[in-house]
Amino acid sequence: MHFDFDAGKYAVYVWPAFALTAAVFGWMIADSLLAARRWRAEAERRQAEAKEPRK
Amino acid sequence: MGARNHNKNPFDFLANPERFMAFSRWAAPMFGAIAGVLAVAGLVLTFTVPEDYQQGDTVRMMFIHVPAAVLAMFVYLCLGIASFLALVFRHALADAAAQACAPLGAAFTVLALATGSLWGKPMWGTWWVWDARLTSVLVLLLFYLGYLALRGAIDDEQKAARAAAILALVGVINLPIVKFSVDWWNSLHQGSSTLLAKPENRLPVVYAWPMLLMQLAYLSAFGSLWLVRIRALVWRRKARSLALKAAEA
Repeated sequence: MHFDFDAGKYAVYVWPAFALTAAVFGWMIADSLLAARRWRAEAERRQAEAKEPRK
Repeated sequence: MGARNHNKNPFDFLANPERFMAFSRWAAPMFGAIAGVLAVAGLVLTFTVPEDYQQGDTVRMMFIHVPAAVLAMFVYLCLGIASFLALVFRHALADAAAQACAPLGAAFTVLALATGSLWGKPMWGTWWVWDARLTSVLVLLLFYLGYLALRGAIDDEQKAARAAAILALVGVINLPIVKFSVDWWNSLHQGSSTLLAKPENRLPVVYAWPMLLMQLAYLSAFGSLWLVRIRALVWRRKARSLALKAAEA
């Protein structure tokens, strides 16, 4: 198996396309996981508050 | 009435938020892991296949551009179906499913347009042309952005969901235009060359494998991220509902 990473004269088009794809996937993964973590923590905090006896 | 009748509708299984949360808890990481494995295998093939005799090394962009374009349309179809279910059955989880897939669909559409432009410049000699395929994909992006803007612009969640769902359904008309634009009009963009295309237009087998693997990787990644985003929206609604109850008490 031979990896060909030399895109020659097309490198200026090929690598930005792969870099952009990596960046967009990075954003989709980070944004989705952070939103899930944030709202899960918020829901659990609200639930714990609701269970606490009122002072 | 009872459990037996409750399962008559095929959507009922996942329409129950508790069942959905139990299902998505293991399904989201599973789809994510499948996507990772497929992406690694697909990228290995992407950089080991021979360069194309006409397009040279730019052919490697096909394996990230075509799956993004297919997902841009597929996600919009999901948005349309979820919006229809939310509008007709007024189901909160269907609305969450619609809301969750819109940013992902917009991201795939941006990727399709940008990687297509980067591929178009060396092959066509231009970054952009007002061609039927490119223009209809741009319109698709505008529908995604319009959906997101409409949801963000209306404070009342129910009104926002209803207005956005109607807009999403109007946008479904654009999907066959995107798909068949290369057949209906003279286009600079090439026609379909996937496994479903005419034999003379089909991709050579050496390129079909990385294409298939990358397509499945994108699809699994979308499945995983979609579930994660729906889970986030379910928790958000729960948090807001608890905040409202606390304020009323």
